[in-house]
Amino acid sequence: MPEKPLVIDSLTFKYKTRPELALEDVSLELKQGELLLIAGSSGCGKTTLARCINGLIPRSYRGERSGKVLLHGREVADMPIPEMAQVVGTLLQDPERQIVASNVFNEIAFGPENLGLPRGEIISRVDQALSRLKLEYLRERETFNLSGGEKQKVALAGVLTMNPSILLLDEPLASLDPASAHEALEVFRSLADEGKTVILVEHRVEDAIEAKPDRLLYMEEGRIKYLGPITDLPKEIDHTQVKLPAPWVVRRVKAQGATVKEPPKPPVQERGDPLVVFEDVSFRYDSDLPFILENVNLKIFPGDLIAVLGPNGAGKSTLVKHAIGLLKPTSGRVLVEGQDTRKLSVAQIARTLGYVFQSPTHMLYAPTVQEELEFGPKNLAYDPMLIPKFVNESLSTVNLNGFAEYPPLGLSFGQQKRTTIAAVLAMRSKILIMDEPTAGQDFANYTHFMNTMCDVSEDAQSVLSANFAATLFITHDLDLAVTYANRALLFGDRRIIADGKPQDVLKDEELLLKYRVRPTSLLRLNLSLLPQTGRFLPAESLAAYAP
Amino acid sequence: MLVTWKYRPRNTFIQRLDPRTRLLFFFCVIFGLTLPDIWDYRVILPLFAMSLTLYLLARIEWKDVKRVWLFIFVLVFMIVGLNALLSGRGGPASVTNTASPVVFEVLGIDVTIAKIWFALTQVVRMITMTLLAIPIPYTMDPNIYGTAFRKLGSSDKVSFTMDLAFRFLPTFARDFTITMDSQRARGYELEKVKGGIASRLRKLAPLIIPVVMQSTVTGEEVIDAMDLRAFGTNPRTWIKADDLRYKFADYIMLGLALILLVGGFVLRFGLGIGEFFIPDFFTNLFL
Repeated sequence: MPEKPLVIDSLTFKYKTRPELALEDVSLELKQGELLLIAGSSGCGKTTLARCINGLIPRSYRGERSGKVLLHGREVADMPIPEMAQVVGTLLQDPERQIVASNVFNEIAFGPENLGLPRGEIISRVDQALSRLKLEYLRERETFNLSGGEKQKVALAGVLTMNPSILLLDEPLASLDPASAHEALEVFRSLADEGKTVILVEHRVEDAIEAKPDRLLYMEEGRIKYLGPITDLPKEIDHTQVKLPAPWVVRRVKAQGATVKEPPKPPVQERGDPLVVFEDVSFRYDSDLPFILENVNLKIFPGDLIAVLGPNGAGKSTLVKHAIGLLKPTSGRVLVEGQDTRKLSVAQIARTLGYVFQSPTHMLYAPTVQEELEFGPKNLAYDPMLIPKFVNESLSTVNLNGFAEYPPLGLSFGQQKRTTIAAVLAMRSKILIMDEPTAGQDFANYTHFMNTMCDVSEDAQSVLSANFAATLFITHDLDLAVTYANRALLFGDRRIIADGKPQDVLKDEELLLKYRVRPTSLLRLNLSLLPQTGRFLPAESLAAYAP
Repeated sequence: MLVTWKYRPRNTFIQRLDPRTRLLFFFCVIFGLTLPDIWDYRVILPLFAMSLTLYLLARIEWKDVKRVWLFIFVLVFMIVGLNALLSGRGGPASVTNTASPVVFEVLGIDVTIAKIWFALTQVVRMITMTLLAIPIPYTMDPNIYGTAFRKLGSSDKVSFTMDLAFRFLPTFARDFTITMDSQRARGYELEKVKGGIASRLRKLAPLIIPVVMQSTVTGEEVIDAMDLRAFGTNPRTWIKADDLRYKFADYIMLGLALILLVGGFVLRFGLGIGEFFIPDFFTNLFL
């Protein structure tokens, strides 16, 4: 094969359905064994570039393409699919979207089976991939029972058995807990060291640099803004668009001489009576199945903004489903405003507690956003005269003014997510519970969303505290807990491991690592500056304190 | 991502059979009963006993299948049985044509001895087929679905489509549960859905639309994932194909299946046995 695995020359692309250029004059070359990180916010063109490399453009996505994309000297558009699939292996953002077979062995063998390889060759390739990724113990397991990290590795093994020379990894960390993400990044690095050319598309630059990329490609509006080494923060990169290590952001803010206003301290609230109480709650689905929750005790008070952290499968979602009454304890009890959830219907509890599920597509159904938002208040038999007011206020709160007549399913993912939150806001519940509120959104979008929801100004409360007595959100993103929460819950081994102020719960690095929560640079910087700051702050605000 | 049925390996006679044998046996009984239009209880009852025996041999735990049986009972008794009892339709013409004595009247509809016997026959006939169908997903290794169809002679595409289709139902059920939970959290109560059929359907939209959307999205994702790994471009190797081998018990069961299929036609069209008829002992109960 020729020297250069990938050569892109003056590539420009415009989707048939859109007026603007998705890519403009992109050129780059990659060597064998190079690891390239591609970063940028939503709509910057990184996904389009990935589609041009793996041949989905021009095969599946129509439009006008000019320039060249050469894989080992051959134009990608001219290569038949089976050949393409053996040169570029694509790992999709969500491993759930990639896995087609019902057990691990079949899943990994799927590609070579499709190529019609002999049986012995397929088995040998599968065993090599299992051994390479240390997955032998999963060989006969069912795919849908794997953890998120295991699914990701199995999907990767399925790609590796096609023996591609280029690996294209499209936001592979999105659905992983921090410890699994760290393990995945180590694997990506070692694959590059073994001679694969690795293209890692990721907006969380802070995490991705653990894979020690050789170069960073930063894109904005379809163009390359920066292509070069990644030893420090290049000035071309906008730190509000991609997630960078906190010390880099601090240096950038200091170098710019910009003063970033410290967010005002939230008002200290008197702790009233608890709104939700878990008393010795244990739960299992069936008497012959293991417990998912064991002796959980928890009180949610007015003014709480709680981040729930912990590994995948620890029982975090099971915990919050008890609060809304979707699950009832096997033993112990859950009280919502003093009433046992066993005696209340979910609809009755919904008046007190609004629950936003992780995936908007499991919930949105109405022909217009307006009707979607009216659904909850109508179910709860609110005064029909008041419902339009609730709906309008909710739309305005999540910045969806003007979208009332849009079909929710036609909105972008971020807008759909905000619609689901507005739908709960319109129910006027006292407590808001969100399961992974930032999942599926890029850094710039979710930062904007969380700031909109949580920011306090000098003369007004945050959207959350103005609308809800308490908020609880489940997240894998430790920095959300650091930046926005006033209380952190570490959940693991079926119970609450730690509960308290973020600065108290998150200071024990060993404990965090034990429960697969990896400390971030923002947490470390905050902890080191805590004597001066007295509280956790966003990276920009830390510039005023950092030496 | 598609999920699978609650399969677990068991060392039973049923699970030791080749999956192809089980599929062929199932189809032979279904076709042996339905194509020659068998409605004679003297033929159906032995088949029912055989299906029940095979079902029990599968040793499926009741808790795994109780929901499915509940659904089947509602369907068979309430819908099929009631329809057969009141209308007498859905079976041989002789049920409604014969001048059978009226036993009682419901909503102005005459319920005759023929209709009652037909309803009973219909229920037993359907449960006979269900007893053979239910164990298949619970006792057949999900990794072998596609291979079994391929080895039965289907094309690569049809075989993998069958593999995906088998796993679609439990995936649909999972998506339905998540959607149901998220709508209940918005105060939606299924039990309060009332009104005429059109109105009820409209009120079910919050459940139906997200589930259908989710299924569509899952379907598209599966297609993309298969394309990226070159499905359908070459004749495929089915890695587990060599694991499937007919053994002695398979040949016995396949022989029995053939006898049942051919037997249904011979009885009905050769010997004139198998038509719908009401036994005297049943008629005498009402006279």
